[in-house]
Amino acid sequence: MTSTAEVWKFAPAYELPSWPFVVPPELATGERRRHPVVIAGGGLAGLTLACDLALRGIAVVVLDEDDTVGVRGASSRGICYAQKSLEIFDRLGIYERIRAKGITWSVGRTFSGADEIYSFNLKDESLSEQPPFINLQQFYLEWFLVERIGELAPGAIRWKTKVLHVEHGSDGAAIDVETPAGRYSLEAEWFVDATGANSRIRDELGLPAHASRHTDRWCISDVRFKKPFAVERWTWIDAPFNEGRGVWQHLMADAVWRLDYQMDEHADPDSISRPEVAGARLREQLGADVEFEFVWIGPYQYRDHLLDTFRVGRTIFIGDAAHVVCPFGARGGNNGIQDAANLGWKLALVLSGEAGESLVDSYQHERHAAAVENLRITSRTARFLAPRSAAEHRMRRAVVDLARRHEFARRLANTGRMAQPNDYPPSPWAPSGARSLQNVAVDGTSVVRLLAEGTRFIGLWVGASAEEAQALNDDIGARLPIAIRALDPNSALARHLGAGAGSVILVRPDAYVAARIDPATPAAIESTLRRALSLEPTS
Amino acid sequence: MKTDLQIPDPDGFYEAWVAAHEGLSDSESADLDARLVLLLANQVGDMQVLLDCIAAARGARR
Repeated sequence: MTSTAEVWKFAPAYELPSWPFVVPPELATGERRRHPVVIAGGGLAGLTLACDLALRGIAVVVLDEDDTVGVRGASSRGICYAQKSLEIFDRLGIYERIRAKGITWSVGRTFSGADEIYSFNLKDESLSEQPPFINLQQFYLEWFLVERIGELAPGAIRWKTKVLHVEHGSDGAAIDVETPAGRYSLEAEWFVDATGANSRIRDELGLPAHASRHTDRWCISDVRFKKPFAVERWTWIDAPFNEGRGVWQHLMADAVWRLDYQMDEHADPDSISRPEVAGARLREQLGADVEFEFVWIGPYQYRDHLLDTFRVGRTIFIGDAAHVVCPFGARGGNNGIQDAANLGWKLALVLSGEAGESLVDSYQHERHAAAVENLRITSRTARFLAPRSAAEHRMRRAVVDLARRHEFARRLANTGRMAQPNDYPPSPWAPSGARSLQNVAVDGTSVVRLLAEGTRFIGLWVGASAEEAQALNDDIGARLPIAIRALDPNSALARHLGAGAGSVILVRPDAYVAARIDPATPAAIESTLRRALSLEPTS
Repeated sequence: MKTDLQIPDPDGFYEAWVAAHEGLSDSESADLDARLVLLLANQVGDMQVLLDCIAAARGARR
């Protein structure tokens, strides 16, 4: 029973690591240095890009204002990491840590009142070595990335370094920063803004972000308790224990449940996040006898924005600095991670001279299209969850009523469409568009492990002998960043690709299929690859 | 979108539609029609036809 005397327990605060400020060479010697890539912002997108570039041998510098991971202590922000992100982290070398610490899941259920009206199991469509999703507090992921970057490129992250001003030039950027040891300037051939939704770098450039605020209001309670809930994603469109409004229920690491409650849009954020108010909500959901402790309580409203262009000269925007969507379906953090994976190999090949500089424009083309799609998908969910009129309530009621009885209507109940790797539209680099390839096992290795061997494409020659593939590899592979391999037409990978004997599947370093060349001739492979790299055709 | 008559017994359909609403409040009637739209939309199953029908219905508003 709810007692007015109930004492609300709080878990001890997380002890997050911190890293020391180190006086950089610029301050130690006074020399001005030009770096291949400088990234502002050590969040998910910035750290993923830094790790990706470090692995590719690019000397990268990350500037971070803080000296730790996470935001506002242990508030966990992102929690669901999608298969494509996990495959990227497998290549970067931190997947095993994520798997060991996080919560693997694939089943989602949607409820109306006491009834389940829709469910999915994402495992059904997966051939990847990585699961559809792992839940993990964002600060753990950032922590693993920081440690991995420390192994690959010690000193690459400059803590306690605040960007004051950026001069954006046509051949690079000059960045003025402030540190505990004073101010200094550094130069970058390529400058990446990964400073998040409130980027001052973006705002100082005066770029229109097309921001909009939503009135829907939610309050998160991250809670630890001993009630055996299913390790699944459960969502209520209208929970009886939340006055008929939405509720999300999801497990993270350390046995912490993320319970996210939809509130009245006029509710006062301070009031709904008071421990006694949040505690009363939990009592409604958990019952009178379940002991629990709070880890974190946080009210929020969501918003979205989308830059028209993700590249201005040699300055590139990734992650939340470029786009923010409603949180439904885990399309925020995962897309920052995928921005980074899209950009890393392109910068590396442009810097090494193996690709033309205009390859970087394909980042804008592909990731802007992805952001548009994610914005559309998440906005549809937001509209389903927060009807704006009596008519919209009626339409949603019709969906829910029919979903109880008819299969077709279940698919209309929209509590989030889980993040999938976005297809990329046709472009000068890939006239048929590009589609993500799962991390399928092949020949005792896997797509990701093959890609991790170097910054180059892989040409999978279906039905060729090893000798034939080697001969072609010795020819084209000597001139261009590609490794040609034979692929058994009966392998799971060939069947997944639907690739017939005689064709070559061109896989990019970010595990997207750039082209299917059929019939494959050395000349066709070379011209397709040169186009994918923004290189002039051979004469 | 077809605009010539497809319903074999138009008067019979109209009668059944009216009958389904008998005894319902305005709100219950509106709920019924919303469910009916979804059921019929799934019978149509063609996105372009559905969009054309939505546009035609909206355009017929007075």
